[in-house]
Formats: sequence, structure tokens, C-alpha cells
Amino acid sequence: MNKNILYIEDNPDNLLLVKRVLNSHGYHVFGAKNGLEGISLAQSEKVDLILLDINLPDIDGYEVARRLRSTGNSGLAYVPIIAITANALKGDAEKALEAGCDVYMSKPINIRELWARVEGFVESPQ
Amino acid sequence: MAHQPTTNGFASTEKTSYYSQLECSGCGEMFDTDKIQTFCPNCQSPLLVRYDLENVRNHIDRDAFRRRLNGMWRWHELLPVKDPKNFVYLGEGDTALLDLPRIGRELGLRNLFVKDESKNPTGSFKARGLAAAVSKAKELGIEKVIIPTAGNAGGAMAAYAARANIKALIYMPKDTPRANIEESRIAGAEVVLVDGLISDAAGMAGEKAKAEGWFDLSTFKEPYRVEGKKIMGFELAETLGWTLPDVIVYPTGGGTGLVGMWKAFEELEALGWLNNTKRPRMVCVQADGCAPVVKAFEEGASFCDFWLNAHTLASGLRVPKSFADSLMLEILRESKGIAVSVSDPAILEAQRKIGRMEGIFPAPEGAATLAALEKLLQQKWIDPDERIILFNTGSGLKYLDS
Repeated sequence: MNKNILYIEDNPDNLLLVKRVLNSHGYHVFGAKNGLEGISLAQSEKVDLILLDINLPDIDGYEVARRLRSTGNSGLAYVPIIAITANALKGDAEKALEAGCDVYMSKPINIRELWARVEGFVESPQ
Repeated sequence: MAHQPTTNGFASTEKTSYYSQLECSGCGEMFDTDKIQTFCPNCQSPLLVRYDLENVRNHIDRDAFRRRLNGMWRWHELLPVKDPKNFVYLGEGDTALLDLPRIGRELGLRNLFVKDESKNPTGSFKARGLAAAVSKAKELGIEKVIIPTAGNAGGAMAAYAARANIKALIYMPKDTPRANIEESRIAGAEVVLVDGLISDAAGMAGEKAKAEGWFDLSTFKEPYRVEGKKIMGFELAETLGWTLPDVIVYPTGGGTGLVGMWKAFEELEALGWLNNTKRPRMVCVQADGCAPVVKAFEEGASFCDFWLNAHTLASGLRVPKSFADSLMLEILRESKGIAVSVSDPAILEAQRKIGRMEGIFPAPEGAATLAALEKLLQQKWIDPDERIILFNTGSGLKYLDS
């Protein structure tokens, strides 16, 4: 059965890199290039895990996480969210966790770590 | 006249460096050694320098190093700088390995030593890594370097960059010890004070580097700092008659020294230069207020979680997550070592004890190793006959305002 990962990220290079790695471990990755599109996709598709960039062009990742957690959709209330940020501002990690993210990772993303974190939540289909 | 770091001074061989390959510690991919490199573009793990050790073994006698001028560069065949004119030298390396007879007696330990890194230029072990990294940057034609720092790395980078005539920009938390801020400015670096921790400084420095083309010398985001730190391992082995201690107690922020020394032991073993290849158990020391490696080690995790609300007076230990966390955790497990955290009051008490009983004024990070040792003795993790090395990573004089 497919394991679906939604990556909300406006940088196509980052999306491509992560997609390549997680695809190779059997995950299906689809992307959203801004926060509102991400929320919409999370609500309309079956999503097993969300990778969430914090610096997005419309609403920031904290707001995305807060909205996902308060949709009333029980699936989205508990879906694992991994926040990813360049942590350019003080307290990014604290804010991400307070907003409802489960894990915080800073860029550059160590791909081995990302894979380990993803697998910690969603077992690899392979 | 000051010693000049030429091959005539530091060496007697024709080949300056046996640096042969640059390997990703994560996926194993190899990279061009003559180009500017950062970290692995594929899996984003740190890159590690590899040497042609077979040729080193065939051409160099281990005892030749002892006959050279003192300093880190006497090991230049096993450092990555290929042309000696690029050695940026301020007197780093060959720090004293001192016994601690009074503290040892009090604790019932017969072989207790401290490697006192405070005698390095700029008063801390950071000089070693930055000497190597700035020298290599010079060799690669880099004209401006940037670093986020908890303090001492910034001061060291500023000094070596000044010596190399390279422009320096430093991001450090605004509550970094005054000495680090002043020494950086005196050395001509531009200093940006950040309302946050080193992780916040790292984010800002990373953005600046990307936007303006500064070369980022952050821990493990370039491959050469660890090579300078590695020399601590060579010095230990040489001083101990080409044997290794039983236990190394090391304060761990970014972890370059821990990874570097382990790399040194691997290289020495591969070279066949050790009389006894029994590796030391490595002890990672952190502060109770910022102990991501301790937590991950105890949980059996492969990576550290970002440590929230990090706080400790030992500013060098305020690293909420290191870029090399998985390497450190692997080493701790492979060495059958352990990770220990200690409280700030215990660090201060240990600092006073080392000063009062042995005449050394250690940095709080260095003092933390004694506090950790006392904890390990209570847990009976250490045998009284074992040969134990504490690392004092810097001078307490740099922390007078903290």
C-alpha cells in the first residue's frame, strides 16, 4: 500500500532532492509550493506524513501547522508533521513544536537523518 | 626570529601532504580534492579527508615527527594543505599533557592527566581547526570567510583570517563572552551579535553566505576543521609512547574534536604506528541545560533532537544540535563510551578545584570534564588504574564576565 508524503516547500530544488531520496525508499512524495495549497492537498488526499518548510511565500509553516491541527479532521489532527527550516530567527524550533509539529529539523537537511525520521513515523513500504 | 612554517622547518620530506580523496561520511561518494567543497550535495552529510596512508607508511617513520619543530604543522603529511606556503601558523599545537597528581590522589586515580589546550593561540583548541580550515581556504583561493560561533571559534577564525589576509565575518550570540567579541574585532573581523543561540547564528550566517558568496566555516560544513582537531589525537599517541589512553573525557558542543581524534586513531592504526591498538572509551560531556547527545545516546537514537531552550554558562556547550551528531553517536557506541551531562554549579566547583589543586584555570567546558569524571567514578564506570585524559579546551581567562 502506498505511503504518501506531502512536502510543502516553495524551493523546487529542495523538493526534488527530498523526492528523489524518499522515492528510492518506496515512499510516494507529492509537493505543494505554498501553505494554502498544502492545506488544501492535506485535506483532499490521503496523507501519511507532512514535511513542512517554515519559510513559505504566503502563510508561514507555523500557521500551516496550526490550521492543520485545528481542522476538525481527526486524520490531520494526528498526522506526523516534520518542520524544516533555515532557522534564521530565534526560537524557530520552539515555535514549530508549539504550532503542532512533531519534529524540527534545520537546513541543510541531512538526508540520512530525514529518512530515519520519516521511517520513525511511517514504515518504509520496501 | 619566529619560526617560519616551511617544509625546511616542519619537515624533511619532499611531499607536503598525502591528501588523496574527499569522502562523504554518509553515502561514501568521492569529491574533487582541488575544488572548494562544503558538505555532501547528495545526502548532506559531512565530508572527510582521506590520505594515501600506504605511501605515508612506506616513506615516513613515525619517530621523524618528534624531530621537527613543535606545532601542528609538523604532521603536515597527514594534513590537507598541499603547499607549505599556505600554512597559516600562529603557534598552534603541541599543548602540554599534564598529570593531575593532587586531584588524582583525592579521587583515587593513579593515571589522571589533562591535555591543556588553553596554550593554543587565542587561548582555545579552536585554533587547531581554524588553522587548518583557513590554511586550506587560502590554498583554494577563498577571499572571505564567515562563521557562526559560540565564541572561541570566532576569535580563532578572526586571528587566522587576519594572518592569511582573508576577510572575516562572524555571527555570535549577543551574550558570548566579551573576550571573544573583542578578540574578533581586534583581528579585524566584522562581528554581528545575534539575539539567540549558535543555531540562530548559524541560520543567519548560512543565509548571508548564500546571498553574498562568503565561504562558510561552520563545524562540519567544510571538511578541514576536523583535520586540525585530529592532531590532538596524534599528539596524545606520540606523548604516550604510541599507545592510546583508556578513557578520553571530552566536552562536546559541535563534536569536531571527538570526531577528529577518532579519525586520528583510525589513521594511526591503519599506518601501523600504534604499539597497542586498543582504542579509548570516549566520553562526551555536555551541560544539563543543553545535552542533545546525552539524550540521543541514552535513547539509542542515531540522530539528536534539537535541544529546546538551551542554557549553560559553558557557552561552548550551548549547541542545540550538531551537524555531525550521527558521527558522534556512532563513535560513542563503537568505543563503548558514554555521554554524561553535568550541572552548572558542578562545573563551577570543578573549575575552582582544578585551579586550587593543580594551578590550572580551565574554561568552564574543560572544567565540565572533571565534574563528569566524578560522576562516572560514582557510577563505577571507571577503574582507578585506567589511564584517563581530561580535555581542557580553553583558558578560563576568556570567561571572566560569565
